[in-house]
Amino acid sequence: MSNDDMQEPFEQLKGARAPDPRAEAKKRALAAGMAAFEAAQKKSSPTTQGTAWGQRLTSIITSWKGKSIMDMRLPIGTAAIALLVLPLGYQLYSTTSMTPADVPVTQEVIVEPPPVDQPVDITLTEEPADKSADAVANTVAGPATTTTTETEAGRDQVVAAPEPLPKEEMAPDLDDGLMDAEVARQEAPVVGGVVAPQQVQSMAPAGAVMAESEAYVAAPAPMPSILALPTEPTGDEFTSFDEQRLKAVADEPVSTFSIDVDTASYSYVRRQLEDGYVPEPDAVRIEELINYFPYAYPAADSAAVPFKPSMAVYPTPWNPKTQLLHIGIKGYVPDAGEDKPSNLVFLIDTSGSMDEPDKLPLLKRAFALLVDQLSANDTVSIVVYAGSAGVVLEPTVATEKARILGALDQLAAGGSTAGAEGIELAYRLAEQGKVTGGTNRVILATDGDFNVGIDNPEDLEDFIKAKRDSGTTLSVMGFGRGNLDDATMQALAQNGNGNASYISNFREAQKVLVEEMGGTLDMIAKDVKIQVEFNPAMVSEYRLIGYETRALNREDFNNDAVDAGDIGAGHTVTAIYEITPAGSGAELIDPLRYGETTEAPAAGGELAFLKMRYKLPESDVSQLIEQPVTTDLVYGDIGAISDDMRFAAAVAAFGQKLKDSNYGSAMGWDEIADLARSGKGEDESGYRAEFIRLIKDASLLRPDTDVDTSRPEPACIMGTTGECAPQQ
Amino acid sequence: MGLTAAVPINPTQAVTRALVVRAQNGDAEAFGELVEDHYDLIHRTAWKWCGNRADAEDIAQDVCVKLGQAIAGFDGRSAFSSWVYRITLNAVRDMQRAGKRRGKYADAYAEVTPDDQPAEQEEAATNRQLWAAVRKLPEKQRDAVLLVYAEELSHAAAAEIMGIKEATVSFHVHEARKTLRGLL
Repeated sequence: MSNDDMQEPFEQLKGARAPDPRAEAKKRALAAGMAAFEAAQKKSSPTTQGTAWGQRLTSIITSWKGKSIMDMRLPIGTAAIALLVLPLGYQLYSTTSMTPADVPVTQEVIVEPPPVDQPVDITLTEEPADKSADAVANTVAGPATTTTTETEAGRDQVVAAPEPLPKEEMAPDLDDGLMDAEVARQEAPVVGGVVAPQQVQSMAPAGAVMAESEAYVAAPAPMPSILALPTEPTGDEFTSFDEQRLKAVADEPVSTFSIDVDTASYSYVRRQLEDGYVPEPDAVRIEELINYFPYAYPAADSAAVPFKPSMAVYPTPWNPKTQLLHIGIKGYVPDAGEDKPSNLVFLIDTSGSMDEPDKLPLLKRAFALLVDQLSANDTVSIVVYAGSAGVVLEPTVATEKARILGALDQLAAGGSTAGAEGIELAYRLAEQGKVTGGTNRVILATDGDFNVGIDNPEDLEDFIKAKRDSGTTLSVMGFGRGNLDDATMQALAQNGNGNASYISNFREAQKVLVEEMGGTLDMIAKDVKIQVEFNPAMVSEYRLIGYETRALNREDFNNDAVDAGDIGAGHTVTAIYEITPAGSGAELIDPLRYGETTEAPAAGGELAFLKMRYKLPESDVSQLIEQPVTTDLVYGDIGAISDDMRFAAAVAAFGQKLKDSNYGSAMGWDEIADLARSGKGEDESGYRAEFIRLIKDASLLRPDTDVDTSRPEPACIMGTTGECAPQQ
Repeated sequence: MGLTAAVPINPTQAVTRALVVRAQNGDAEAFGELVEDHYDLIHRTAWKWCGNRADAEDIAQDVCVKLGQAIAGFDGRSAFSSWVYRITLNAVRDMQRAGKRRGKYADAYAEVTPDDQPAEQEEAATNRQLWAAVRKLPEKQRDAVLLVYAEELSHAAAAEIMGIKEATVSFHVHEARKTLRGLL
């Protein structure tokens, strides 16, 4: 730059030419502009005269201006609205959200962590209260969700005071409890200080610390079921639920639930553990962990009675004083010769977030596996939504593999626009190619974007329910992590009479789409419900392990209109109850002082009575299977039962420990691993070996000894006697 | 290159005004035409201010979106093209501030872009240094210089766009000259 130019150096800026804009960029920009314009038009359609909402008109009566007392109406009005809206909002949320409404809102026994030198405890029991009372209680407990320290959680426990007092001495105890809570609150930081170095020692500090803090908050204070945990390590969403609580046979002799053949939770948990994270407690659904594994229960003989229960009672591995009642069901397996036609519509999410190796590419390979399983009387169609929308493949006979795979290959992730009516399109195709006597199913594959065209989740569920009733079912497959909306996945699949699975890797895809293909596609019974009535003469307390999100009301059992889970060909379903034999002295619930003392009529030799209801696929009337649980089924030694049952017990123990359950988490990881190893059996597919490895991972992420001493006893259920019932 | 800002305004001013009114009344077609007419202006300005295609396209798209959201609020006190300029300059500023906040990522990209597109920028090449220096000026000075010299607008027009007095534009240009004397 010469000095002459300095006179007006900027003259050189003249005449510079910017390159012409690229046509596609221009087109995109114009489209974006138009979209924004239209959105703005919709929002602000009629501009009225006068003051718009939110502007500073302080009063419509000008004479009020400047009178400061009138300004009180804002806070008063806000307070009044808050009083109205908060309970109403909670009510609406709890009755209309995705959370199944029939989950009993149970506040469990709440126990204050005992201070080191003052082993005094409080017990607060809450019966399931009526809804309005619940709303209030939950509003009171609200702050617990925002607390990040255990101290505040502890305080909230006291606030969430009980309604019925178990005994008359309760009141003084409660006072003590308040004081103790105060003491604990002051001492807590010191406890925290002790915890910290131990956490640093653990193998994976970050994961462990995160899980620790989470567990710490989550464990002592049962959260209201709708509220999320304070720390969410991932972006994935799960239905929040409270653990099944211990029930006294004298109070509630009957336990009712719907079966659940989903396995998504196990895949998710496995993936989290393998990546070095302890999964959130809500992500661990124990029944899905147990049901992930194939068990060799004896299968039913015919399609008419499509399954039969196998039962056993054996000692609880984590509590020598109780027993486990194991109920295993295996679905009827049709002959290989029977080839029912299937009409499958893949509804595939192609939003931008699917563009990761473990999402769309995995999905393509997974579906290629599925297509390989299909035969000449099956048809396949593909609809995509989000990003690109529309029919990618018209119904095509499954033998035209090249065409199907070609269409799959062309899918590309990108864009974020809502593909309108993706789901309606999918169902329209399904109805177009409808087959009778076979499976008509839409398979939704997504990483959590459910913008399938129906925005309102309830409308979506209703739509799916209506289609289910007309014969087209829905399965959901989740992919990837960070965006996964497990709660919606479960809700949709349950409403669609299908399965929800989580495909974490190719191996899992193979399990779900190849090995369990029959079960996935060929439903042999629907709306399967289980009801167990316990004999108070033999069993004093029971607790169902898992199935929190599947609980049914007692009266729902005989009501054929109530939807429940479905069983596919060859599916195995396992339910485990922990039962306390009457008179064993291991009862955790004190008998009522003023309760009825009349002895229940003792049916000789029966512990319980199992009833199962199911509907055949084409029928709307349920059938009943009944079977008593007799003392013949009781085994004194856990070594005497089958490998499968031992393994299932190990999985249950693992699940309880992993989610830091109030029950049974005293069992060490090593003991769980030993139990699992003893039940490993042949394990042809290697799933059980993998599970044993997973126990190892979990034990590294959350080591046994250190944690247990630094934390209050996870479960301390006690009466008014002031001592904590031993867990083991 | 006389084909700069002054030109689209004068002959088409009446048409533009009519389109603006129609768009404000909710006529999507008129809005589309309006944006189409001004896209080149927006893109060109964004390009001159940033000096690379990726940013220019991003900004141009942002501006289109903002136009769509805000056209109802355009009060007609200034020329429509001035208003578009103003929105574009604001978008450039927002983006560059956000870019600074984005920190290392922005830097990582910045290392790539200038080398990627050296030929694209100013064929004349001799004054690339000048352009780079001008783009690094404080915002006000840069805007004033580029509006007056690169866009060849009058000081009055630049003042309208920048929302300042005419004399202040001259002041900013003068300051810019002083700042650059050390650099060039």
